[in-house]
Amino acid sequence: MPTDEPTTAEPTTSGTVTGFDPATATREEIMATFLANDLQDGEILQIGAAMPVGEVAVRLAHFSHGPNMELIFIGARMNAAHLDVLPTPEFGWDRRTVRWAESFSDTGHRFDRVKDWHRRVFFIGGVQVDPYGNTNLIGVGEDHRRLRFRGPGSVGTSTLSTLVGRYHIVLNSHTARTFVERCDFISAYGWGSGGADARTRLGIPGGGPRYCVTPLCVMDFAPDTKRMRLHSLHPGVTVEEVRANTGFALDIPDDVPTTPRPTAAQLEIIRTRADRRGALRH
Amino acid sequence: MSSPARHERIVDEADAATWITDGMTIAIGEPAPMAMIRQIIRRGVKDLTVVGSGLALDLLIAAGCVRRTMAYYVGGGFGGAVAPSFRRAAEAGEIEVWECEEGILTTGLRAGAQGLPFLPWRGGVGTSLPEVNPDLKVITDPIKGETLIAVPAIEPDVAILHAAVSDAYGNVQHCGGPGWLDLFLQRAADRVIVQVEKIIANEEVRADPWATTIAGADAVVRAPYGAHPFYSRGYYVQDRAFTRLYVEAATAAAQAGDRGPLDAFLARYVLEAETHGDYLERVGVKQLIALHEY
Repeated sequence: MPTDEPTTAEPTTSGTVTGFDPATATREEIMATFLANDLQDGEILQIGAAMPVGEVAVRLAHFSHGPNMELIFIGARMNAAHLDVLPTPEFGWDRRTVRWAESFSDTGHRFDRVKDWHRRVFFIGGVQVDPYGNTNLIGVGEDHRRLRFRGPGSVGTSTLSTLVGRYHIVLNSHTARTFVERCDFISAYGWGSGGADARTRLGIPGGGPRYCVTPLCVMDFAPDTKRMRLHSLHPGVTVEEVRANTGFALDIPDDVPTTPRPTAAQLEIIRTRADRRGALRH
Repeated sequence: MSSPARHERIVDEADAATWITDGMTIAIGEPAPMAMIRQIIRRGVKDLTVVGSGLALDLLIAAGCVRRTMAYYVGGGFGGAVAPSFRRAAEAGEIEVWECEEGILTTGLRAGAQGLPFLPWRGGVGTSLPEVNPDLKVITDPIKGETLIAVPAIEPDVAILHAAVSDAYGNVQHCGGPGWLDLFLQRAADRVIVQVEKIIANEEVRADPWATTIAGADAVVRAPYGAHPFYSRGYYVQDRAFTRLYVEAATAAAQAGDRGPLDAFLARYVLEAETHGDYLERVGVKQLIALHEY
């Protein structure tokens, strides 16, 4: 059984990646660093299932510049600034995770107080994402009763996306099958059909999706149209590669910067404390 | 002349399972009440509507007990994608999916518990949920004129839960507090069956009444290791090797159309194991001991 005790043991490494030279950062480590740099001290970070990049980003931010962050793994709310490492949850209600928490909420009470959710940030995935940051976890197909691909379900994303201060779309792959002009179904409302008032006109209080981060690039939303545009390319990725793997016309500015690599200090935190199992090194 | 005696509520899993009949709406909590779920499958109950999640719900689907799911997430476990039998049956149109979301399902259960026809919820406004689930109504609230979703009351016929301990009168105490939606399932349901790791004395309950999480379960089922292959907080951890057996068999049935391994799994661990005790014998003492930690 993996226990992931906080210790000062030697960093675990896998594959050939060792040391903390920024040139050795993997794309997933670059994704996590970009997200960590966006997270502010004092924010409340909601971490769901099956999102290794987001999880490492939160740990990196917490250890590097966020001692007052609150980390919520499913229902276990913790501050681990005093620990060398954070336990890796098997699942959020596992006692192995909950023992590091300061409080625990069962699922039914998680959404009972939303007054501070403007300080809350979460990461969302999807089987489809459209140019306005609407996401789909329901499935793919025309007929809901006979889907070609049945997705896992909306989890808590309809509510979280409605109420949190901002959120980021994070995907483990970047394909034209995922990035589509229209989602077959929308389980989390991003910027609807576009426009700066896409959320306020429905009375939706949360701040909506800010970035979409993939293994190829970072995208954001134009302030007036709220349509997705290229924000930065990860080192070694070309505009053509992104265009070919995006199923809608992505707005591409004339000058596209490169997504920054982690600093050596950030990479040391990732590899020795935030991602000891090497989930982002492969 | 002495007063009449108080009724005890301890029932064995076979008797408790007779409460569940074809076409009912049942709710299954978490930790998963697997001893009861296996008994429901052995009884061959059909056409259930199930409020539930994950692989416990998936097993009921694999065994052909389910007509409709009320679930916001049917993943294959932490890090898993979609539970295999749920995915196959939904894509084939064999089950109906009452599409919802965590906040929406909780709101419907609250309405059911409080005897209200509906309660409003904001999460889901702007999404496809009201289109694919016509039970969810987009409304304008009469106080501030905001757009909200009216979620109808959800009232399961029976909620089936797993907890740490109970006395003979259904005073249930969880280890470390209840998880998931269990309190909401219990409040919304007409009747509640709680299977427990251990029956304790009423005196022990009264020593710490603040720790009682469910007062007055209708039936208490003695089921040590009753959540296996899943975890029971404070008693044992999830048996990943065993759940992998199920996932591999169900995936072969779903993707390769080969039901052989799945039927063999169901036969060995559910249908031919007549009682919970028989099931535990088939799993094996050594395997159970290896899981016996917090």
